[in-house]
Amino acid sequence: MNVEITGLTRRFGRTMAVAGVDLRAGPGVVGLLGPNGAGKTSLLRMMATAIRPTSGTLRLLGRDPGADGPRREIRRRLGYLPQNLGYYPGFTVAEFVEYFALLKEVPAAQLPAAVAAAVERVDLGGKAKTKLRALSGGMLRRVGVAQAIVNEPELLLLDEPTAGLDPEQRVAFRALLRELGQRATVVVSTHLVEDVGAACTRVTLMDRGKIVFHGTPEDLTARGEGYGTGDAPLERGYSAVLAGARS
Amino acid sequence: MTAGTTGEMPGAAAPGGKTWPAWPPRAGTRLLRLHAISRRVPAAIAAIAACAIGLRIALIGHWDTYGALQLPLVFEAGSAAAIAITTASPLGEPERVTGRWLPFLRLATALALTAAAAAALIAAGAGAHLAGGRLDVLRNVAGMTGIGLLCAAVLGGGLAWVGPTGYLVVGAYALYTQWHRPALTTPWIWPARPPHDAGAAICAALVFTIGIVVISVRGARDPVGE
Amino acid sequence: MTAVRMPAAPRPAPAQRGRLSAAARLLRLELRRNAMPWVLPVAAGLFWFTTYRKAMAVPPLWNLRAASLQSGALLAFVCPVAGAAAWMGSREARRHTTDLVTITARPRWTRQLAIWAATTCWVILGYLGCVAALYGMTAEQASWGGPLWWPVAVVAASLAALSALGFAAGTLVPSRFTAPVAAVAAFFALALSTQLINGSQSYWQISPIVTAPWDIGPDAGAGAFYPYLPDLSIAQVMFLTGLTMAVLGAMALPNGSGRRWLLRPAAAVTTAGLLAAGTAVALAGTGKLDVHGMIAIPALHDAASDRPLRYTPVCSHTAIPVCLNPAYASYLPAAAAALAPVLNEIAGLPGAPVRISQAAATFRQGPGNSVSVSLADPPLSGTPPVFRLLLPNQLPGTAMTTSGFAAAVRSSAGPAIVASVIGDGPSTFPAQQAVAAALSRSAGLPQPSLPGPVMQRRNTTVPLPAPVRSAARRFAALPSPARHAWLVRHLAALRAGRITLAHLP
Repeated sequence: MNVEITGLTRRFGRTMAVAGVDLRAGPGVVGLLGPNGAGKTSLLRMMATAIRPTSGTLRLLGRDPGADGPRREIRRRLGYLPQNLGYYPGFTVAEFVEYFALLKEVPAAQLPAAVAAAVERVDLGGKAKTKLRALSGGMLRRVGVAQAIVNEPELLLLDEPTAGLDPEQRVAFRALLRELGQRATVVVSTHLVEDVGAACTRVTLMDRGKIVFHGTPEDLTARGEGYGTGDAPLERGYSAVLAGARS
Repeated sequence: MTAGTTGEMPGAAAPGGKTWPAWPPRAGTRLLRLHAISRRVPAAIAAIAACAIGLRIALIGHWDTYGALQLPLVFEAGSAAAIAITTASPLGEPERVTGRWLPFLRLATALALTAAAAAALIAAGAGAHLAGGRLDVLRNVAGMTGIGLLCAAVLGGGLAWVGPTGYLVVGAYALYTQWHRPALTTPWIWPARPPHDAGAAICAALVFTIGIVVISVRGARDPVGE
Repeated sequence: MTAVRMPAAPRPAPAQRGRLSAAARLLRLELRRNAMPWVLPVAAGLFWFTTYRKAMAVPPLWNLRAASLQSGALLAFVCPVAGAAAWMGSREARRHTTDLVTITARPRWTRQLAIWAATTCWVILGYLGCVAALYGMTAEQASWGGPLWWPVAVVAASLAALSALGFAAGTLVPSRFTAPVAAVAAFFALALSTQLINGSQSYWQISPIVTAPWDIGPDAGAGAFYPYLPDLSIAQVMFLTGLTMAVLGAMALPNGSGRRWLLRPAAAVTTAGLLAAGTAVALAGTGKLDVHGMIAIPALHDAASDRPLRYTPVCSHTAIPVCLNPAYASYLPAAAAALAPVLNEIAGLPGAPVRISQAAATFRQGPGNSVSVSLADPPLSGTPPVFRLLLPNQLPGTAMTTSGFAAAVRSSAGPAIVASVIGDGPSTFPAQQAVAAALSRSAGLPQPSLPGPVMQRRNTTVPLPAPVRSAARRFAALPSPARHAWLVRHLAALRAGRITLAHLP
């Protein structure tokens, strides 16, 4: 298992953003769904070792991120794309990806190839020397994906990765996710259920800080049979599970 | 959102039969306040107040010759830099393509902060030996703010402080040359001119006016460097 | 869900060679995308305006130019460097990349060090360009000596320290207001440090803007007659390096900045830096004005610096040669022209000097921070006698034009040379006074006078008595050869008081 979470909580002041989550995930693509404020981003940030849990147990890639040495090992194998991607406008695409490759301690000998491969994989090879300030929102998002995958991560956490991508790019991105999911654990937080259906092998649905569903997309679809809210089967399943959790 | 008939918004009729949305009472004040918050004007006011307090404390000590004239210049430059930084917009394009109020908001912010800075520094010097006096403070603050605003238009709001702080060095050096000749006497270096000097006042006012106009119309440039 | 996998073995740490290469790559990235190059033109412009022009206006003496460089470059660079460094320090917070960079493997301190190093590299590069311009021009103009590198080192260390302080401020308070506050505060601190200096034994002269005893300014003769004393510069470099170490080391101490093993070395570096800075301040407090016009710090003093420099003087072809230190060669024509008339009058007289030789000034600290500048030895001494001369620009004061310099030489040295041959002081006989007045008139010197009554508060002089003036006019009216011939025959008797006013031709 690359992700082993038991009773994980995270509190921000008086707000309990994550209120006791259990999750286990190995290689594959896990879709993380939920309404706004469900705790998805907080959960993702804890898995990214950006913030510490308030309580509970978290093991990533077989290691405890609470200790310095193991945390460093985790971070070498980790890729993370936050929902709001910060960037340095003066950097070029290649420089931005290279910067994060260096910070992730990608061996220097492999660095140029790793950067080139990451940039090509997100189809920005022709824009490698373009400054980030000159890119569209969708391209910036792809740059964010490139920096997340440059170190061939074993654990990849993506928060709204397809925001701003055109339909063609989204199709290509789903293919990338499936490919990455063959070797790594990919956790994708998204509002787009069609992304979940096309790319994910498992789906986790969160509401009010708790996991209310964990299973395959087919299981989620089945939960929506006979439920009227939603234009697509997965949407109906999503709505049905949430309604059940709140009733 | 529900379907329904569209109706005219209540409001005054304008020439040509068009109606404008009613402007709720105190909306102008609210707009000014929100604009000020977006530009971190409260932090700028705090910075200006800190400059005034710093000047007051520094005036307790004895300063002679050109040191007495350079001292207020330091705090005037700090205030001008704080004002120039408020031109940086965190909102970018969505704000620039809104209606007609943005230039007026920029103008009002810059003018109000400049007046506040001058008033605060003059008040800080009240009752103490403020070399140069009130006119000197007003002229220097206005002039250096103008430089900062022009810098914001060229380098962006974040780096706008480069102008006033660079001019601080120029002004301090020019004051030094009053005691170590040859003196620099050009009115474009107004801190080195007497408070009642018309040429220096005109130069400072001109720079201030140009800076205000440029920043009101164009706003600060988007960040150039890192 | 796939089968359970065992945790993968730790990836081998990058090879040592690869580590260096990664660091170089990181530095290269930071160098390329740093804000400092945008700000350097402002610093260069300020340097030209406040330092280069002023330095070119002072004589091409290495010490004076180096002093201009040290104090001027610092003031020109302080605001841009402190502000831009603070700007770079706040980059991660301003650009909202904190989360992104925090979750990477490299510790925060490494990232910060790379950014600071890149910022400082640009600063030093810009500064060295300014040094090259100023020193290059000085090398073209100077007639002797070589560049003084300690002042250059002091400014370089200052810029590194300023960059560290500004950068630390930016990381601690990542607000858009931090950069201007850092810029203005750094300028104020530098300016304030000079206001607090009192005398030559002040702790505040550790301020890098101080190049010499603050009350008298840089000694034009420093490095011309005796070696330039680096004592104060060494203390300043020690202080600034210690400050830089302390700031950078302290940045590795907060939780999450670095790995556990880094904490002890970081604490050690911080402590060492603070100790070095404190020691340097204490050393500066023991500094005192030495006889050559520089600050000597006993614990740092090299006795070899007290030995005079060997040089071959440059001499004029006047009746009595005027010989100057080669550093002052550019002044020789003006000095010789100013003294030629009086030298023509006294050349060949018994007891007249065979040479007018520039000497080093001697500085002595008096009560109330006063400083007296004089010759170490009597003006006329030796066998054969040599007249020792202090040029006006060896004395602390304002810069002079060439004509002002010539006038000052004529008015200060001319009467002294005449007096050394004819006789000097209140005990001179009337005939001596008349002869001295006559020679002064012939050489175009100011007329000598007598000291005023002792009871008066101010130093006053009174004109020579009428008979003396009359005799002087008579003697001055003689043709120069006749006057000279008379003096050759009667100078010894004149000095002994056996010649009266009536005996004067």
